[in-house]
Amino acid sequence: MTQAETMPGELPDDAQPILSVRDLQAHFRTDRFGVKRDVKAVDGVSFAVRRGEIYGLAGESSSGKTTLVRTIAGAVKPPLDVVGGRVDFAFLPGYGGLRRAPAAEVARIRWRHLSYIMQGSMNVLNPVRRLRSAFVDFAYPHIGESRKQFEQDVVAHLARLKLDPSVLAAYPHELSGGMRQRATIALATICRPDVILADEPTTALDVVVQKEVLAMISGIRREIGSSVVLVSHDLGVHAQVTDRLGIMYAGRLIEEAATVEIFRNPLHPYTRHLISSLPRIGDDVPRKGLEGAPPNLADPPPGCRFHPRCPLAMEICRHKVPATLETAPGHRIACFAVNRSEAA
Amino acid sequence: MTGILRDLWRYHAEFRIGAALIAVALLLSVLASFSPYPPQQVYVVPPDVPPSLTYWFGTTSRGQDVFWQLTFAMRNTLLFGCTVALISRLLALTIGLFSGYKGGWIDRSLMAVNDTFIVIPLLPILVLFFFVMRDRMSWLLLALIMASLGWAYDARLIRAVAMSLKAREFTQSSLFSGMSTREILVQEHLPYVMPIVFSTTLNNMVWSIGLEVTLAVLGFTDINTPTIGGMIYWANQHTAMVAGIWWWIAFPTIAVIMTFIGLFLLAVSMNDYIDPRSRLRSFGGAS
Amino acid sequence: MSDLLLDVCQVSKTFTRGGLLSGQRIAAVKDVSLQLDAARPEIFAIVGESGSGKTTLSRMILNIEIPTSGKLLFDGVDLATLRTGADRLAFMHKVQPIFQNPFDSFNPLKRLDRYLFMTHRRFIASDGRITPEMAVDEALHKVGLSLKEVSHRYPHELSGGQLQRVAIARALLANPKLIVADEPVSMIDASLRISIVNLFKTLRDDLGISIIYVTHDLATAYYVSDRIMIMQKGSVVESGDARTVLNAPQHPYSRQLREAALLPDVAAGL
Repeated sequence: MTQAETMPGELPDDAQPILSVRDLQAHFRTDRFGVKRDVKAVDGVSFAVRRGEIYGLAGESSSGKTTLVRTIAGAVKPPLDVVGGRVDFAFLPGYGGLRRAPAAEVARIRWRHLSYIMQGSMNVLNPVRRLRSAFVDFAYPHIGESRKQFEQDVVAHLARLKLDPSVLAAYPHELSGGMRQRATIALATICRPDVILADEPTTALDVVVQKEVLAMISGIRREIGSSVVLVSHDLGVHAQVTDRLGIMYAGRLIEEAATVEIFRNPLHPYTRHLISSLPRIGDDVPRKGLEGAPPNLADPPPGCRFHPRCPLAMEICRHKVPATLETAPGHRIACFAVNRSEAA
Repeated sequence: MTGILRDLWRYHAEFRIGAALIAVALLLSVLASFSPYPPQQVYVVPPDVPPSLTYWFGTTSRGQDVFWQLTFAMRNTLLFGCTVALISRLLALTIGLFSGYKGGWIDRSLMAVNDTFIVIPLLPILVLFFFVMRDRMSWLLLALIMASLGWAYDARLIRAVAMSLKAREFTQSSLFSGMSTREILVQEHLPYVMPIVFSTTLNNMVWSIGLEVTLAVLGFTDINTPTIGGMIYWANQHTAMVAGIWWWIAFPTIAVIMTFIGLFLLAVSMNDYIDPRSRLRSFGGAS
Repeated sequence: MSDLLLDVCQVSKTFTRGGLLSGQRIAAVKDVSLQLDAARPEIFAIVGESGSGKTTLSRMILNIEIPTSGKLLFDGVDLATLRTGADRLAFMHKVQPIFQNPFDSFNPLKRLDRYLFMTHRRFIASDGRITPEMAVDEALHKVGLSLKEVSHRYPHELSGGQLQRVAIARALLANPKLIVADEPVSMIDASLRISIVNLFKTLRDDLGISIIYVTHDLATAYYVSDRIMIMQKGSVVESGDARTVLNAPQHPYSRQLREAALLPDVAAGL
């Protein structure tokens, strides 16, 4: 990442972003039985999320999208290690990330300002306790009001999310997968957080249920005005709910624009391939596959990490990392073939 | 394999201590071949001599050298433990893998047998065998009996793993590659249960040696073959503790405790490494 | 009779869960029939959500699961009559599976090529002119790989897409007439998925292999399949030509599925 980088968050049409990530680097470092490995799962990612928007992160497995949200959420445990960069929340100024903030501050913002819905978190509800106890255990300490008032709040919150209050009396196994996931999301949003980080919230759900859960996430944004960072490998999910979309490849953010813009006018060769290879019902045009496979992040190719598979690869791509430049308003992209001026 | 052992040696203090203790036990049993006295003969040395330069561990009231007697006892005891472990592992592996893979009525009937063996009370059965067999009770026969009583619990563990392996896709791939049941069990599933086999082998040896010592101390085994338990039996017969011949009891006891701790430490440290999942992780694969 | 490659006649499968007396009976597949023509290879999609019985049905076609009632005939032979190991081997020679998780399709502790050579040795009569290496290399070439890339490799050294190609090459080595693929691309990365799907088309067109494609994804089903069958809770709700069914679904459930499928066309929603 170089000097020419356009910094996010300097957008004129908006106030300060609620979350901004700058040049974040997170590596998995292992040293087991003398074998040292350093997997650069997130390697210099910068982006900003505005108030009240749903920001999507898309990418294949091992593109680093899950590691990225984990790092933002402060869930950094060995072997994962943050090597550089900062994460700034509007409600937690000055520390550059949860990792560096004092424990009391972190406890203050968890739930009230920041919620993290982990991958498969709907399966971590305690199976022998009713959902009501989950709400009491997790959220009650953060609210600071009478127990009766809290009950009322929970019921009101469920009603807002179009969930029946009877789920509170149910055990997790009595609910379907979709219902469990919706209850988990309701639990994560009970304190009306400013930012919700949701990692693959609809994976493993059936399509019909998936649509309902996505509608619920849009509803949360509308009702309580939270910003959502939504991670999904499924571009269909992003098309459905996100406002802006960042595409990750091999630990880097390679393209970012409004979701509509990404689908209409993808610029990065990788994104172009992803969009054009999606099969669509009612469209019989043969699609072409892409050669090669995503790189091994323990030993990534030099320069642009996509160059071994890129149809537009040039000499410069082999040894220089392309900077993320804003080519059109709100459309950032890291590619020499698109940003010709940079390559020259 | 040598690489694994080298890594274990380098990174595991437990392994180093365990290996050292077992090495001492093995050295003792190897020395048995160099004994100047035949093991069963009595009054070959002056009785009741305390440990000295001539008789390192002293001599017994029966006129035997404790050190050389201990080498035979160690050899026989370790051999006994290995035999029981080997036979019972073979039984547990065969029955566990087969039962878990085949399922259905085969599984149900094998597990019915298995559960019977789990609930049989051990010590009374072994004592009963001794009273029925009396002088025909050789150590090999005892090993066979104990092996046939010692497989059941581990077979259940192995069966549980085999059942989860059966549900894995690679088992179906192997089946549709034309492999026979035997090939699937031996080539595909066996590597996954090896950690269980390794750790239970060492545990099983601890168990069988402990039981053998117990039986021998009580006199319910062939007392003429020198074993650790047999030595303590004879010492008790001659009221060695009361007579102040402490070395007759102390050295066999130290030897057996050393063997136990050594086996236990080896089991703990090897289990951590032989587990295929941690092994895969170490070279960067997914389990 | 024998002009049908596969004839599934009103099969049902009921699982019993729980004890002998208090057992709960769950009907996974109810009275399903389907036929594949031997003369005309095709890709037949079985579409459904979780719990629709699509995987149980595919396992019955593979003879891994025995139907509670109904009959399955492959090439005129009733699968229930396959008793000996030789019968089963003859069946597997003609019908081969491809599984969902490419990272688990091969034993992670073993080298990949052993499965390829094993399949060749077991199913193809040895021919003096073609060495096993040549046969395996040829099968790998059909899926866009070569023996050089695969030999002495362990599963974790290859990507999901490559592993799924190896799995297909392994199935091809038996020289089958039918491949049953259960969710073969759902765990494959987006940039590699379409090439696997295209590979199925090639197998049908160039090698004349029929494929049963089990999936929850309507879009790829539309893209590859000739005929489609939509299942819900064990029963078939709609079946027919893939284009007709998906362009204008008749049954309410198919319509619901079609609408819920997240179309990447943002333009459609604008």
